[in-house]
Amino acid sequence: MGKRKNFLTDILYTPKWAPYFFVLPFLITFLLFFLYPFINAFVMSFENIIGPNQVEFVGFQNYKSLLNYHFYTALWNSTRYTFWTLLILIPFPLILAVLLNSEKLIGKKFFRAALFIPILTSAVVAGIVFSLIFGDPQLSPANSFIKIFGMAPKTWLRDVNVAMFLLVLLATWRWTGVNIVYFLSGLQSIPKDLYESAEIDGAGTFSKFLYITIPLLKPVIIYVLTISIFGGFAMFTESYIFWGTHSPQDSGLTIVAYLYQQAFENGNLGLGCAIGVVLLAIVLIINIIQLRFFGLYKKEEV
Amino acid sequence: MKKFLSFLLVITLLMTTMLAGCGQKSPSSSANQGNSSNANSSTNTTTDLTLWTFVGLHAQMYNAAAKRWNETYPNQKINLKVVTYPYEDMHNKLLVALQSGVGVPDIADVELGRFPQFLKGTPQLADLTDLVAQDKDKYIESRLELYSKDGKLYGLPTHGGAVMAFYNKDILDKAGIDPSTIKTWDDFIAAGKIVKEKTGKPMLAVSQTAMWEFNTMIGQQGSDYFDQDGNVILDNDTNIKTLQFLHDMIYKDQIAVIPPGGQPDTTQAYGWIDKGNVAAVVMPFWFMSRFVSYMKDLKGKIIVEPAPIWKDENKYPTVGQGGTGTVVPSAGKHVDIAKKFLAFAKETKEANLEIWNTLGFDPPRWDVWPQLATDPGDNQYTQYFVNGKDIFKILYDSTKGNIVSLRSTQLSVTANDLMANQVLYKVLKANSATAEQALKAAANELRKDKNSGQ
Amino acid sequence: MESHASNIGSKEKYNDSSYKNNLFARNIIGRFFIVAFFVVLSIIALFPLYYLIVSSFKPADQLFTTGLDATINLKVMNLKNYISLFGSQGGLYLSWYKNSLIITILGTILTLLLSSMVGYGLAVYQFRGRNLIFTLVLFIMMVPMEMLLLPMYKLMVSLNLLNTYWGVILPGVVSPTAVFFFRQYAAGLSKDFMDAARIDGCTEFGIFWRVMAPLMIPAFGAMTILVALGNWNNFLWPLIVMRTDQMFTLPVGLMSLLTPYESNYSVLLSGSVLSILPIVIIYLINQEAFMSGLTVGGIKG
Repeated sequence: MGKRKNFLTDILYTPKWAPYFFVLPFLITFLLFFLYPFINAFVMSFENIIGPNQVEFVGFQNYKSLLNYHFYTALWNSTRYTFWTLLILIPFPLILAVLLNSEKLIGKKFFRAALFIPILTSAVVAGIVFSLIFGDPQLSPANSFIKIFGMAPKTWLRDVNVAMFLLVLLATWRWTGVNIVYFLSGLQSIPKDLYESAEIDGAGTFSKFLYITIPLLKPVIIYVLTISIFGGFAMFTESYIFWGTHSPQDSGLTIVAYLYQQAFENGNLGLGCAIGVVLLAIVLIINIIQLRFFGLYKKEEV
Repeated sequence: MKKFLSFLLVITLLMTTMLAGCGQKSPSSSANQGNSSNANSSTNTTTDLTLWTFVGLHAQMYNAAAKRWNETYPNQKINLKVVTYPYEDMHNKLLVALQSGVGVPDIADVELGRFPQFLKGTPQLADLTDLVAQDKDKYIESRLELYSKDGKLYGLPTHGGAVMAFYNKDILDKAGIDPSTIKTWDDFIAAGKIVKEKTGKPMLAVSQTAMWEFNTMIGQQGSDYFDQDGNVILDNDTNIKTLQFLHDMIYKDQIAVIPPGGQPDTTQAYGWIDKGNVAAVVMPFWFMSRFVSYMKDLKGKIIVEPAPIWKDENKYPTVGQGGTGTVVPSAGKHVDIAKKFLAFAKETKEANLEIWNTLGFDPPRWDVWPQLATDPGDNQYTQYFVNGKDIFKILYDSTKGNIVSLRSTQLSVTANDLMANQVLYKVLKANSATAEQALKAAANELRKDKNSGQ
Repeated sequence: MESHASNIGSKEKYNDSSYKNNLFARNIIGRFFIVAFFVVLSIIALFPLYYLIVSSFKPADQLFTTGLDATINLKVMNLKNYISLFGSQGGLYLSWYKNSLIITILGTILTLLLSSMVGYGLAVYQFRGRNLIFTLVLFIMMVPMEMLLLPMYKLMVSLNLLNTYWGVILPGVVSPTAVFFFRQYAAGLSKDFMDAARIDGCTEFGIFWRVMAPLMIPAFGAMTILVALGNWNNFLWPLIVMRTDQMFTLPVGLMSLLTPYESNYSVLLSGSVLSILPIVIIYLINQEAFMSGLTVGGIKG
């Protein structure tokens, strides 16, 4: 009896056992809703699935058939997209968030809400609006805009050279507001007196940003960086909004778009799973390197 | 401690609701099944049928058919539940359901482009051959072949998709051209040059993101992407010559353009065509409904004519394109009655007339065409087109039901992607490769895919 | 940079009034530009929504014939699209709304509660297996849903969760992104309070609930809106799980009305406007409750 009670109090009171209680919900859902389906999918990546009871083991055949230029293009596109979104979608929203956090800014509530609106727009609606904005006619908004700079009208969505630009532009439009929300919430945890004392020491806006905001926001920045890497490599919606599932010379083809084509359009679920596994491996390696680099696995450093 | 207790309470509450949530399911679902089986054994013998489609108009047609069915067979009533899903999602959902064998609908519409994947291995679909057995010669034969495998039919066609020419009367009048004099593609180009000269407008909108015109032209000459054994013949002489012909229409004769949006059946192109920017489109029969829905300014200005043919070596008057095959998954609970209803809704002569009346499509059974030629009824289609009353007369006289379709194979999805986004992009849009180079490259890739046993 | 900062500081210490006035003027101009900058950004961000709303009151075919016409023209604008939305599928539309609300509210509350616990646990405790569990969290985040569709569906079949709310909610109830975010947020908090609370005799959960969670309110704020948004807009999974149209969520139901083969754009546009509304409301309430309140109160460290 007594021993039992000790154990219970141990769980509740000692930092040694309590963490397991905290992570329990995750472990349960992980085992039930993730591990089983994932192992299933992993096995499928070595199979040719024809029907419910028509499955043949094909070894690495699915992985081998990934050695083609469509998949290379998809890899290259996803990598470039991730690079550009990281370059834009971290500093830009961070600066906006800092500005929006300032107590002096007039109408900041409105601006916050306005910048968040794009992510609410569904892919279909965004698709309609953007295909009209980047329409082929000479008078489409995009063509009218570049005309100001003396440029000839473009057929935007069927021009392989501007595809990446369009994707990054759409991503910026959709995700800036979301990243602002992350950064804003992070900014709330920075004690105001830190700024006050820095001001007394005579720090300017820029040095306050550099020496207080950035370091204290580091955990949130790492978070945004990590999910942006993941989101970049897993991007499909943006591409789908512009081109659906196929784009000229694969200029909008991403890894997940390729997965979708193979698994659902060609009905080749095994190959689709193989693509998923490769994607997972790539993102996992990049993320682990990056997280180690930022010392996320060490408790002291965060 | 108090907080912790309250937390425990919350968790237990959650757990109980979760359990309740899981528990609730089984009785309700079995209740549903119970309902149908109960109903089966009781007075009316009503059968619940679920039908998935991706076209709202099809839903209307099926619902109307269900109503007629229940009047015709009062002892074998059905309770048809049509669910409309978006195109991509309906096919994905069906794929997942068929793969797991659980949760399949009784009947489903499957689009031509997605059909081959459902024919893989032993299809999980009921054999529909017997439904059309006694009417086989009355169907456009190629339409049935699209949905067949090893001599068995797995999908009932919805329409013929016969390609026709649609001319803008205003523009042709200005150029002084009578569209009924355009018989061959050479005539078409000659007329196009006059149109271009007199009005400055292009004669034809040529698709680059789809293959409507290319497929029409090679199909008329009896060519295809694959031969009857499934070998890749995409780079044969006919195809290369034809692609060159299309290329020249744009770059040499300068009488054709790629429409905004890349093909005539896009939201961008509708507005463009509607504003009278092009003299003609050569599109499948179902494009009529796009005219009616999206291009209201052109009402009373569009003349329908047979598609131009080739002077020599023409094998077929026109080509059927696009399509939807309606399937009955074999894992369904009521396969027999589903098949029977499907025949009632789509196979009979009456059903085929209804396909014209509600959907505005050319019925796949051409034996109703003569009837529609003499009496097409009065609907929005006959009212929209200049010669709306004569549509079926034109269709029947020019084809007699002899319409070819390009073969649909396991490689078709890949082939279509390569054609639109590599071949036509390079040859028609970017003008960066010759027809021969582009087609050879695509054909070789398809051969490689075929050998790797896709 | 530091020398630059101290420079300004030293000047300020001299209390040079002309410099101060100058700084004040620069501030005004600077602020004006910042506001102008945000106005431009907001216009860009809001334009598609504005266009959507204006178009939703116009006949659907205008969308294509007149191109991008965002002018407000009361002569052609009417409520027809909204009426047809409720007319054709009236009852269904309301049940879609109800389903979406139930799934969003239930899913969001559960996700926030469980994910914050897990994230917090990973952030503040050193324990065996911590890195492994954290890696698993990241791992889940990276697996594309499309790949798991078939196995997940089979799982739902065997758990008898098809066509139920729980079938939609449960698989996402511990959201890896939320866990990760809470972990990062909690990691940035000072641990001094924890020790103080321990001395006061709080249980570990008590520390979380009573001491640390309140400090994480801004994180809850951000996550409420994003998790709710995710639940509300979730499309692929409810589509696969739900089998009857009475059980559809709003996005699935709306999409089922739109097919490329007919002019149902009228319903799509008006439906989209109505489907965005709840999230906008959640956002606004949320902004009031979590964000603004805190900027004033702040957290004293």
